[in-house]
Amino acid sequence: MSADEAQDNHHDLSYREDIPRVRTREGVELYAETNGEGDITVTTLNNFFFSAPFWREYTEELVKHYRVLSYDLCNHGQSSRVEQEPTWEEHAEDLIGLLDALGIESTYLIGTSASTQLARDVALAHPDRVRGMVLAGPVVGPQGMRRHRGLQRAWLRTLNSYGMPELYSHMYPEVISTDMNEETGTPGFLGLRESFLAMSTAEELNNGLTLAQQGDPSPELLTRVQTPTLIALGDDDILLGPTAGQELAALFPKGRLALMPKAGHVPFLDDPEGFQEIVRKFVDEVESDV
Amino acid sequence: MSDPRAEARLRIRALLVDIFGGDRFVSGVPDTASLREAGVPSTALVSLLVAMEDAFGFEWDDEVRPEVLRTIDSLAGHVVETGAVGTAGGR
Repeated sequence: MSADEAQDNHHDLSYREDIPRVRTREGVELYAETNGEGDITVTTLNNFFFSAPFWREYTEELVKHYRVLSYDLCNHGQSSRVEQEPTWEEHAEDLIGLLDALGIESTYLIGTSASTQLARDVALAHPDRVRGMVLAGPVVGPQGMRRHRGLQRAWLRTLNSYGMPELYSHMYPEVISTDMNEETGTPGFLGLRESFLAMSTAEELNNGLTLAQQGDPSPELLTRVQTPTLIALGDDDILLGPTAGQELAALFPKGRLALMPKAGHVPFLDDPEGFQEIVRKFVDEVESDV
Repeated sequence: MSDPRAEARLRIRALLVDIFGGDRFVSGVPDTASLREAGVPSTALVSLLVAMEDAFGFEWDDEVRPEVLRTIDSLAGHVVETGAVGTAGGR
């Protein structure tokens, strides 16, 4: 789909029926859509709350310059269901399989919250496939991931005790910035809840929140990432303050920090245009270095 | 109009037409169809909820059940429950 067509369809969050699924490994086919054109590919990585169509609204500017690839993780959305919940390693394998199948030699990654861990793992295991990565609201921290995992456990308990609407009510004031809470008020809370409830099932969230508590939390891993890395951090993020964000960026050999004023844990919700501008600037800088 | 819920549905449709800049999309959405399945994104829904507060003169509550927001008809039902149409409540 061209950038213009994507613009015309940006209000449509439904799945496209005409897209063939992409086989990534035995028994796994992923829903994957590309928008925009260009030599440079930017791939979005879902955390366990988002689906591929969700990204259309937050990549409207990027698709004017790049090919943007968004896909559903295995066992989520419109991708294959397998009996055994995928591990982080299998999610990484799926991404590489997806790039292979689409003929994409290397890509930029945008991870958000839990999927910043996946971006880290892919960059470590397949450095030749990742040109750069943007970690928006990272869960990888300069000292570890204990606070993040505590949040995941609390969310999981709420989900399994009270269901998805209550999980949303629990998460919203933690994840969404003070500024956005005040500015969008109750209509903002209710409107985003509809998307939240539409994008996942309780089972999918249970599995995702469980997986999010696994994997190596060691900050030392970050020092081995050779991929240019941008930490896109809202200064109202529940997990990391600006000082910790600077420490985190400094752990990456090619790390840098972009602070987004008053933004929360999912900073592109607060400022979609500002976030995409940050991504563009990062890509331009990395490409000029290359 | 004698049916407050029907009146509310019409007014909600008019608000959606404003939000989408025309009736091409909205005219294809039945009153009882899921708005999210029809392709109404959260940003448009938020705009609609804000516009409904202004148009009908009530305020949404965080405790509103998800089912209320599902369709044009269920939204209209909520408007009627608040007394914002069929009485002097609407603006």
